Amino acid sequence: MVAKDTKFKDALKVIGNVQASGRKILLPDEAMDVIKLSGIFTPAYALVKTVHEASVEAKTMGFPVVLKIVSQDALHKSDVGGVVIGVENEKEVERNYNEIMNNLFKKVPDADIMGILVEKQMPKTTEVIVGGIRDEQFGATVMFGLGGIFVELFKDVVFRIAPVTKTEALEMIKEIKGYSVLNGYRGAERLDIQQLARTVVTVSELVSDIDEIKEVELNPLLVYTEGVTAVDARVIIK
Amino acid sequence: MTLEKFFNPESVAVIGATEDPKNITSTIITNLIEMGFAGKLVPVNPHHDEVFGLKCYPSLPDIKEQVDLTVISIHSDYVPEVLEQQAVCGIRNSIIISGGFAELGGKGVELEERIKNICRDKDIRLIGPNCIGVLDNYSNFSTSFLPWTKVKRPEKGTLGILSQSGSYVVAMMDMLSLEGIGVSKVVSYGNRADVGESELIEYLTNDELTHVIGIYMESVDDGRRFINASSNFSKSKHIVALKAGRHDSGIEAAKSHTGAIAGRYEIYKAAFRKSGIVEVNGLEEFMDACKVLLMQKPAKGNKVLVLTNGGGFGVSVSDMCSDTGLDVAHTPAGIREALSEKFPEYFILKNPIDMTGSSGDEDYGIAMKSALVDNDFFDAAIIIPLMPPPTMTDGVAGIISQRAKESGKPVVICMVSGIYTEKIKAKFEEKGLPVFPSPERCVKAMSVLVERGRMNGC
Repeated sequence: MVAKDTKFKDALKVIGNVQASGRKILLPDEAMDVIKLSGIFTPAYALVKTVHEASVEAKTMGFPVVLKIVSQDALHKSDVGGVVIGVENEKEVERNYNEIMNNLFKKVPDADIMGILVEKQMPKTTEVIVGGIRDEQFGATVMFGLGGIFVELFKDVVFRIAPVTKTEALEMIKEIKGYSVLNGYRGAERLDIQQLARTVVTVSELVSDIDEIKEVELNPLLVYTEGVTAVDARVIIK
Repeated sequence: MTLEKFFNPESVAVIGATEDPKNITSTIITNLIEMGFAGKLVPVNPHHDEVFGLKCYPSLPDIKEQVDLTVISIHSDYVPEVLEQQAVCGIRNSIIISGGFAELGGKGVELEERIKNICRDKDIRLIGPNCIGVLDNYSNFSTSFLPWTKVKRPEKGTLGILSQSGSYVVAMMDMLSLEGIGVSKVVSYGNRADVGESELIEYLTNDELTHVIGIYMESVDDGRRFINASSNFSKSKHIVALKAGRHDSGIEAAKSHTGAIAGRYEIYKAAFRKSGIVEVNGLEEFMDACKVLLMQKPAKGNKVLVLTNGGGFGVSVSDMCSDTGLDVAHTPAGIREALSEKFPEYFILKNPIDMTGSSGDEDYGIAMKSALVDNDFFDAAIIIPLMPPPTMTDGVAGIISQRAKESGKPVVICMVSGIYTEKIKAKFEEKGLPVFPSPERCVKAMSVLVERGRMNGC
């Protein structure tokens, strides 16, 4: 890989390692590493290989936690029963850890498992999607939309050619039909649109700076009245 | 290499020239004769000695003088041979009208690859195949195979038309003629085997006679080059795009139509946005957007004055402005005071300003002077002069256009078409004010000016 002048050098290293292993889709912990190293906020998380490690990490970051399977044979984690949320104590860590493993082995007996990702569970709030796609024709693009039903049912998303400035990112945010959900609908508190815009800018720069990236997606990105946090990410490389 | 010889060739060889009216080559030649093309026209066909009174040559090598361009409309199977021949003769440009290439799939794709390779190896530039080719309204050159008696040639003007589709180009020329919108250059490039929209936009950036480009697109030739070329063009001029093949069914049609595969629509929208391109829906919006950008400049903001002598039209225009994101802001106190001194108290001064059916020509001048010339609160104006009252005369066109000029702000006129109002419309447009025949179209046209103004501000 050619060394480039990019502020995403550390993220690029993670991608380089994945490329060297011949894989195209980053594992959940690798994808989280890429976005964290790019300066996007994430909750505390750790990749563990044993139940004991899982308990230690969960205690350190504080309950509740989320457990997610990390295996290239389970890239759609929830389809194989590979995600458990709301894990409240050490006992539940142990029970769910084993259950996730068993679920996968039942579906894919010879699955290659890297471990389990323990992630601090964040309080519920509005969910959005921020993505980047390298288009064959137009190159790097960035996408923003509200998460869940809004993107699935209403396709309420906005695209721009990447990279975008913060002004453009703010325009994107205001352009979606569901903007009022972010901007204090019916007396709800106004969410941190400034920080959200900065995250859109970062994703747009990430996809336009690092040619190796084909797709990147923060889904969901949680938006609070102060700050945003990416709790799950996908990164696909060429 | 420049594309100049496609538009202004000194000498053109028409391959397969004939007087047979069923053969499109005969119309290409008669069109050129009728247009008064000043360059040399050289028919090529081994079966004729003379075509339309012009000496006809058996083959390209028989022509002794330099030829700039070939126009090829013979069966696709024979096209590679002609290209090989013209390469030997040092003819560097070709417009291939013939279909029977990539749009057919299978063998057609192979044939198109073959002509592409010949052109690349032999340094020949190519427009087409499967297209109408060009019209240059100033050099009086065209390769259209449709008689000007059936598709009226547009007047000379400053609009350039680019299109993947031949039928759209023909429809646009006809509509533009009827609307009196003048054209500089038209290019239909069909399968786009070589020259495509990005290079044409680059070329037209330096064409002083082209101020606005209207483009019909199914797909893009080179995404990043297109963005760069369009952004550069849009710094001082405007591009209006009509994107077809937006939905799944449309993509299917695009594929079978010109052999192009349309890209994802959302990303096209993003690219248009990045490039300062105004995107429109449908032919009518396309014409209106081109027209308004040719005649008026972009608005500095979205505060729009609505001025009329007919209340209902004022209200419906205001409604549509709100729907489109235009701000029909309340008339500020300064303007109201100035106007209340000059107008009777039953004139309604909040925006829209409704001067009622009792007002006349001069009242438009008075209102525009106070609200638009002497005050910079409003960024633009939609004027709706209803002509039936006896106090309204054709003199109103001069008064309104004079005030519009003094204000330096964009002004558009809404005037529903009628036999009498068509004449008034012509008077407005002579003076540079665009007239649109319904509140919907007028507001949409104004929103194009506001959108362009906002883009330039970014």
